[in-house]
Amino acid sequence: MTGISWRHVALWAVFIIFMLLLPEMVSKGTLRTVIFANFLAIFAISWDVISGRTGYISFGHPFLIGIGAYTTAILSYRFGMPVGLSIPLAVCVTMVAGTLFFLPALRVKGSYFALVTLAFMELMYQLVQVIRPDLTGGTRGMSGVTTLARGAVNNYYLSFGLMIVIAVSMWVLMKTRFGTALSAIGMNEESVRGSGLSTTRLKLFAFMVSAMVAGLGGAFYVHYLGSIAPRALFDINFVFTIIVAVLIGGASTIVGPMLGAFFLTFLLEYLRPYLPGAERYFIYGSIALVIYMYQPKGLYEIVMQQWRKYRVVKAGET
Amino acid sequence: MIQILIQGLLLSGLYALIAVGFTLIFSVGRVLNLAYASYLMVGGYIYFYVVQTQGMPKIVGMVVAVLMGCLMGMLMYRAMVKPLKGDHVAVEISTLILAVVIQAGIVLLFNDSAKILHPILPGVWHVGGATVTLNILTATVVSWLILGGLYWFVRKTHTGRAMQAVSMDAKGATVCGVDADRINLITWGISGGLGALAGVFFASYTQLSPNMWVTPLIIAVAVVIVGGIGSIVGTLIVAHIIGFMEIISTTLIAAELRGVFTMLLIIGVLIISPKGLFGREELG
Amino acid sequence: MAEVSRRKSRRDLNVSHHLEVNNLVKMFGGLIATNEMSFQVDEGESLGLIGPNGAGKTTIFSLIMGELRQTSGSITCFDSEISHLQTHERIQRGISRTYQVPRPFADMNVLENIRVGLMPDNIWQMIMRRPDPEREIELAQSVGFAENDFLRHPSELSIGDLRKLELARTLATDPSLMLLDEVFAGLTVAEIAQMAELINQKREAGMTMIIVSHDLKSLEPLIDRAIAMNYGAIVAEGSFADVMADEQVRATYLGDE
Repeated sequence: MTGISWRHVALWAVFIIFMLLLPEMVSKGTLRTVIFANFLAIFAISWDVISGRTGYISFGHPFLIGIGAYTTAILSYRFGMPVGLSIPLAVCVTMVAGTLFFLPALRVKGSYFALVTLAFMELMYQLVQVIRPDLTGGTRGMSGVTTLARGAVNNYYLSFGLMIVIAVSMWVLMKTRFGTALSAIGMNEESVRGSGLSTTRLKLFAFMVSAMVAGLGGAFYVHYLGSIAPRALFDINFVFTIIVAVLIGGASTIVGPMLGAFFLTFLLEYLRPYLPGAERYFIYGSIALVIYMYQPKGLYEIVMQQWRKYRVVKAGET
Repeated sequence: MIQILIQGLLLSGLYALIAVGFTLIFSVGRVLNLAYASYLMVGGYIYFYVVQTQGMPKIVGMVVAVLMGCLMGMLMYRAMVKPLKGDHVAVEISTLILAVVIQAGIVLLFNDSAKILHPILPGVWHVGGATVTLNILTATVVSWLILGGLYWFVRKTHTGRAMQAVSMDAKGATVCGVDADRINLITWGISGGLGALAGVFFASYTQLSPNMWVTPLIIAVAVVIVGGIGSIVGTLIVAHIIGFMEIISTTLIAAELRGVFTMLLIIGVLIISPKGLFGREELG
Repeated sequence: MAEVSRRKSRRDLNVSHHLEVNNLVKMFGGLIATNEMSFQVDEGESLGLIGPNGAGKTTIFSLIMGELRQTSGSITCFDSEISHLQTHERIQRGISRTYQVPRPFADMNVLENIRVGLMPDNIWQMIMRRPDPEREIELAQSVGFAENDFLRHPSELSIGDLRKLELARTLATDPSLMLLDEVFAGLTVAEIAQMAELINQKREAGMTMIIVSHDLKSLEPLIDRAIAMNYGAIVAEGSFADVMADEQVRATYLGDE
């Protein structure tokens, strides 16, 4: 945690170069899969900032993503606002709504926090369908929302660019003492308060960062899909996919959620011929449960352990 | 007016039955079992399979459903909750994952189209201008009987008192010679059985579908939050608040808003009194 | 400047109490944890708080830190009321405590644990300024950690080391008044000597302290004055010898000593 070394920078650079060359190497179909992986990685990183670090589990993250997505969709589709304006506005609205959403959650601890967030998501799901269906499109949602780019390759570059900017900036942010303090809250909140820090302010700030990332991801996502529907968005299966991505990859890291998102998306692609429908959640969930029970810190930690072992063996040989 | 009163009472009875198993685990083990509503779904589907696919008597279907729910609860405790050593966050996350896995398993076995259960008791009953299906009336009567039985069990039997002891102070109870592990196992078993039975009635009231577990989970959660750390009486009271709120909003405002007030109740109570309406300040 | 005038007025009025507790009452439901407690600690003074289990010593600490809110009564630090402040604000006023059961950050090493204590309560500075490893090492060494302990995790440390770690993290908040709760519990004889030495150093440096301990032999040389309490109220107050000579104190203590 003591800062950023050249090796880190080199690893990020190798990863970015690889991803930039990807469209040359794989088919358009695979590229579309990677686009989904990029968006899932953004949502997973957003979830991890609040839940993976501080241990306050959000079961209602689609609430934040949905606000970002709906705001920009309504502004651009219903009011013809240019996307360049509607997306930043959507991010601001998500941050404000996220803060309002967090205020009651501030008063509650542990399990109750998870439940309030779940209640918020369900509330949103029901309200979206009833309140002003002329704006939200009610149960059927909206289609024909402006898309930002045409074709798989352009959309891939757009989604990857967004993901990598978010990932790297979150990675840098979490390397600072702020990141350390958030992890400390996850380990023992009283001791953080006992160190003279306002945990409320720390959590609130973490929540706003998380909401910002979720809002960005949600807004770009709706402009990629071109459509939005409440059932697909405010769905417990969606929460599940985000959480499972983080857990499989490794909570409280940045690489972990990315790793998990890619793993899940490719697993889905690989399983598609055998399990076309919702059954894939069965495989997802089972894998996630096994990994979670065996190593709660996920694949990232498993890989790191092997790496450390390898280094010890290597050091022993020379 | 009478319609509202009667329907409210009946729905509340069903909700109390749904919530009581969830409350039980929360008060004894202090963990939230987010896979609780899966018992309901599994119970409903087993009943469907035994009665409507295999053509066996309804009572057999119910008994098999309850037994399987019981078994499922105990298995979950042994295989998941105990190894996680009461780490609340871990239990919540893993039970949520399990719930989705079970949902997907149901889709694998029964496909994802909704299924209609035949009413457990067919027919309707006219009372004071209101029409009531015998089906939900049975559900309510059974619910009252079970809650009464459970109340008696917790108050009067040795095991029940041990459950109370563990719920107040697990370590203290262990010191006094109560086998907290065994009590937890029994509680999870009872909770599973109750959930499965509630599932049969809930499914016959609505329908069977692989995502039928979200609504009852929210109801159970609302009952625990509003009622504070659960007593059986608290469960009953809050189930009535929610049941009546739902019926009133459906009949007087709009059918689409039926769930909204439950969410608002959850959020509102947590803002005003984070420990629930009937919670208390804990010592130390 | 407010600081200067306040100090001056204190000298004029001759009431230079670092901490003053007045008629402090804390009830849990119907149970009285502290009953009309009043006492003062002067700047640079070391006060021992003794009494049987359940006497309310730890409750007093929690009330002073704002982890619990008193039912009635007041707590003042240099004559300014602190009852309305939250825990972290009281720590910023220079009041800090340790716990009977140490509460380290499990997945962080010794230096990282201390780092949290050193953080400013300002998110902007937390992000923009780098941690100060020299200060972390200095604090770790000041409580007696050797260099090969720096990267150890709490699970690898003895209870004595955990107490030292907690003391280091508490010292990192730069307190002028420390509340030490059962600092000797679970320590070996050598560790007790080390801990006592540490406390003495802080005393000589002018730190105000309130120390709770059951280990009266180790406590005696570390305090200027003692308060004995039982059932949430003060039984005796004065020099250590006076307090120990008190009838009631002897009655409570001779039973289990």
